[in-house]
Amino acid sequence: MCVSGLSELDQITRAAGGNRAAQAALVNRNMPIIFRVAYRMLQDRAEAEDVTQETFLRAWKVLPDWQPKAKFSTWACTVALNLCRDRLRKKKLVLMDQVPERVDTALRPEEALASQQAQAGITARIAELPDRQREALTLCALEGLTNIEAAASMNVSVHALESLLARARRTLRASLTSELAGEK
Amino acid sequence: MMTTETISPERVLELIEAYGAEPGAWPNEERAGAIALLARQPERFAAALSAARELDQLFLTEPVPEPRPELAAAILASAPAARPVRQGWIGALAANMFPQGARWPAGAALASLVMGVFGGYAYASSGIGYDQADAAYYAAFGLDTGEDWLVSE
Repeated sequence: MCVSGLSELDQITRAAGGNRAAQAALVNRNMPIIFRVAYRMLQDRAEAEDVTQETFLRAWKVLPDWQPKAKFSTWACTVALNLCRDRLRKKKLVLMDQVPERVDTALRPEEALASQQAQAGITARIAELPDRQREALTLCALEGLTNIEAAASMNVSVHALESLLARARRTLRASLTSELAGEK
Repeated sequence: MMTTETISPERVLELIEAYGAEPGAWPNEERAGAIALLARQPERFAAALSAARELDQLFLTEPVPEPRPELAAAILASAPAARPVRQGWIGALAANMFPQGARWPAGAALASLVMGVFGGYAYASSGIGYDQADAAYYAAFGLDTGEDWLVSE
């Protein structure tokens, strides 16, 4: 059965009832954005896939009781962001607990070149943003969510979202400007 | 929320600062007003738009890996399976009433309702429990009770 013409609620109801076509449509429509959001937050493909899979595992559990208060993608982004925050928090705790090793910090020439190239990319600069700014920028500027959807996904007000976006953009511009000044 | 008439130049600069130079990314309710103000005072916003546009262009060039096809297959493998189709009119009724499955809370509520209605009807039709107190109560409101116990002897 073709489910592309159904409303999201119909699609969710059918997916909850085990309709394979509706489940596939839900996954195909929402999985890419969840994966990209998770990847941008975690900077790791395997972890992003884990978060995407965990998000859908939770979705399968809640779909029978689904209330159409929000779009599925907004709900899914909220879940994925929470899972990413948990992982980032654990990573930071691990990093803080680790005893620093005495290693030669000088990079080999080829590593230094690769590092410079990575730093030059906008991806690396976005990855360096504080977590909340990166979330806001990812949802709005990179994934095209509306301000209301992004704010709902992040559990913040639209005003707070705008503030995070503006700060993220200012930080990126300052970073690019300083790089250009360094090249001259 | 601002309308076309009330949006200020400062607010337009805030929109550019937060959402970039592309009006399509601005909030729906403020877009028309902001575009109108941009058209009226282009020089006022030129620098902000130019700076924002540079970043917007960089965002477009950012490479992002797509999920592997195997991921979709793994997710679908974990999805709930369809329940067997119920036969007969009871099955059809239950399927209509509970399209997502008659789970215990809903089933228990329905069973309680049916038992309550059936029990109440059986009790009322049996006449058991219709005593003098009931007859007096009805008589007090001028209703015919069918009883003659109030008639003095």
